Amino acid sequence: MVADAGRCLRRRRAGLYDRPWDMNPEMLIDEFLEPKVLIVSGKGGVGKSTVAASLALVAARRGRRVCVAEVDRRGTLPKLFGGGGLAYEPSELSPGVWGVNILPEEALSEYLRVQYRMHRAAKIFRSGQFVDFVTTAAPGLKDVLVLGKIWYLEQGRSGTGRPQDFDTIIVDAPAAGHMLTFLQAPSGLSDAVRVGPIRRQTDWLIDMLTDPRRTRVHLVALAEEMPVVETLETSGALSQKLHISQGPVFANSIYSELLTAAEEEQLEAIAANGLLRKLQPEAKRVGLNLDAEDADALVGYARFLSSRRTIQQGYLKALRKGTTQPVLELPFLFSAGLALPDIETLADVMEEQVEKT
Amino acid sequence: MNPIGEMVAAKEIVVCAGSGGVGKTTTAAAIALRAALQGKRAAVLTIDPARRLATSLGLKELSNEPSKVSKRKLTTAGLEPGGELYALMLDTKTTFDEVVLRYAPTREQAERIISNRFYRNISGTLSGTQEYMAMEKLYELHADGGFDLVVIDTPPTRNALDFLDAPKRLTDFFESRLLRWFLLPYMKAGGGIMRVANVAATTFLHAMKRVVGGDVLQDTAEFFRNLEGMYDGFKQRAGDVSALLQSRSTSFVIVTSPAEESVAEATFFATRLNQAGLPFGALVVNRVHPRIGDGIGVKPRQLSKLEAGGDRARLLAKLLDNEDAFMRLVHLEEKNLNALARKIPRHRWVRVPYLEQEAVDIKGLAAIADQLFDTA
Repeated sequence: MVADAGRCLRRRRAGLYDRPWDMNPEMLIDEFLEPKVLIVSGKGGVGKSTVAASLALVAARRGRRVCVAEVDRRGTLPKLFGGGGLAYEPSELSPGVWGVNILPEEALSEYLRVQYRMHRAAKIFRSGQFVDFVTTAAPGLKDVLVLGKIWYLEQGRSGTGRPQDFDTIIVDAPAAGHMLTFLQAPSGLSDAVRVGPIRRQTDWLIDMLTDPRRTRVHLVALAEEMPVVETLETSGALSQKLHISQGPVFANSIYSELLTAAEEEQLEAIAANGLLRKLQPEAKRVGLNLDAEDADALVGYARFLSSRRTIQQGYLKALRKGTTQPVLELPFLFSAGLALPDIETLADVMEEQVEKT
Repeated sequence: MNPIGEMVAAKEIVVCAGSGGVGKTTTAAAIALRAALQGKRAAVLTIDPARRLATSLGLKELSNEPSKVSKRKLTTAGLEPGGELYALMLDTKTTFDEVVLRYAPTREQAERIISNRFYRNISGTLSGTQEYMAMEKLYELHADGGFDLVVIDTPPTRNALDFLDAPKRLTDFFESRLLRWFLLPYMKAGGGIMRVANVAATTFLHAMKRVVGGDVLQDTAEFFRNLEGMYDGFKQRAGDVSALLQSRSTSFVIVTSPAEESVAEATFFATRLNQAGLPFGALVVNRVHPRIGDGIGVKPRQLSKLEAGGDRARLLAKLLDNEDAFMRLVHLEEKNLNALARKIPRHRWVRVPYLEQEAVDIKGLAAIADQLFDTA
């Protein structure tokens, strides 16, 4: 980002200079991880959980106690760490990384227990239908309850009374469209609920969310039409309507460059003159015997990669142009179902990218 | 004719389902476009706020009512429409209002409901509402719209189950005796909490009042009071919708990519369709990486030797490494898809390869339709 003076200028003009992020463009990982709450969101299917898991590893490698929170769904997060499902109480997924699944009914039940010592009501509220009912009566209550649990975690409290100090809380948030509603819920709720302590408590949530030293949102995008458009809209709404600080945008599944321009020329030149004949001697030297089909595969896959990459680069450009945030590229991993080694790789890339910016 | 072609020839409703980001909306639009070209009066109903779909169809924006794609737009794209193409985007709240207006015994009662604060909240946020209204709209388009074919993409639900069960879940919610029973003191006294014998109800109301305040309960009770007498209408319609979905006029398309997660979702959905007795039509597999050759199988040792060589050797190393990565990916994708083939026989599949461009205009959509209808 240092190299891109134009963008720094644009960000400063956009009134973003007072954020700690922008005062020091040479962000280091510690700064990158400064806010305790990191919210990861993006359009469905862009790899939110993957990015959340990789972020968790980056933080854990720095010796932080990390809690990854899924919100009201059975997601793929625990699977990435090779584990089973998550519960409402934190369980350790890998060294230094804990996971929770925040269900609104559990959060409501905990809230009633902790706030009002209402044990019997707490029990009734664990039924899904009641939660549907209550959270419908007061819109946004569901989201506020979930955010409330995140606040509990941020404050190092837990409903069971056991102290749970996490240094970093990573929220695998709902998909982008719903994410805005989710983060807007505390301010929305105060319109519906005019009395009661919940009114005051929503203020605490708003404080947490709008303090750039406490909370930051990372959007995840793919270099494709719809995800880019949606990311830019979400990003705009976050800064202009919700005043919630954002960190770099992660562009996921980016095909890495295979050949340099010179190599590309070289390839096309020899491809025009019988590729197999030109490459066979080199292959033979290391004990490989290529046939015509192999030669087609070599050129075919190189061209496929290059054409996909060209398409992606166009969308990446649009993404960079449209956002004031740095865009960090995460590589396409040639895998049709990610597992821990892939997450480790992405965490390596993240560290490298953050140090480079 | 491939499975998609057969479906469009024989069916009146096509429902596209699948996990997020696999191309549901585009698939739905391409199917409707092809049907229009074949001479049908076709509509695509989208749930996603897909502005891109509007733009790619040359429409300014999509609304809750069908907008017609102009014939000129289609002919400019080099197409010859024998029929008509319409597109619309579900507006959950407006559709819900229409439902209330339809079932309320009097106009006054409908208006009391529509202006009720509790109703205003549920019409947008209650889980299952969007799914229910999508089905409602689909039913309405099919019954009264005069369309030969309605194609719909399903809401981005957490799982297929939510979507299929939505109409029933919502009617159950309205009908829940339990809830009304808990609200009884409010419904009767129209105000403060009466001393009721039941401890659970008192505890519930007490807790509710502390959390959300008394006036919220007031609104809620009033809503349920106004809803009395409308349950039968709701229930009947939910039954009609579900009968329509199970009828011979309807067919489901499952859209997937070869990635593990979306294949798992597709498998799950196929099972659910089967259990629910819903008619499955075709599986669309998008974004499959091409298979070229049988795999060279370069060894790391060979790669490092080549990397230490001259220009051409280094170029070969890169090409081999790249081929190896793609081959590995192709194998993984095939493994995922083979698992899916045990659930959905391959003759119901349509594979759409990676296309050079996304569908940003009618031409692009038509190209996707070609792939969908003309691949064997």
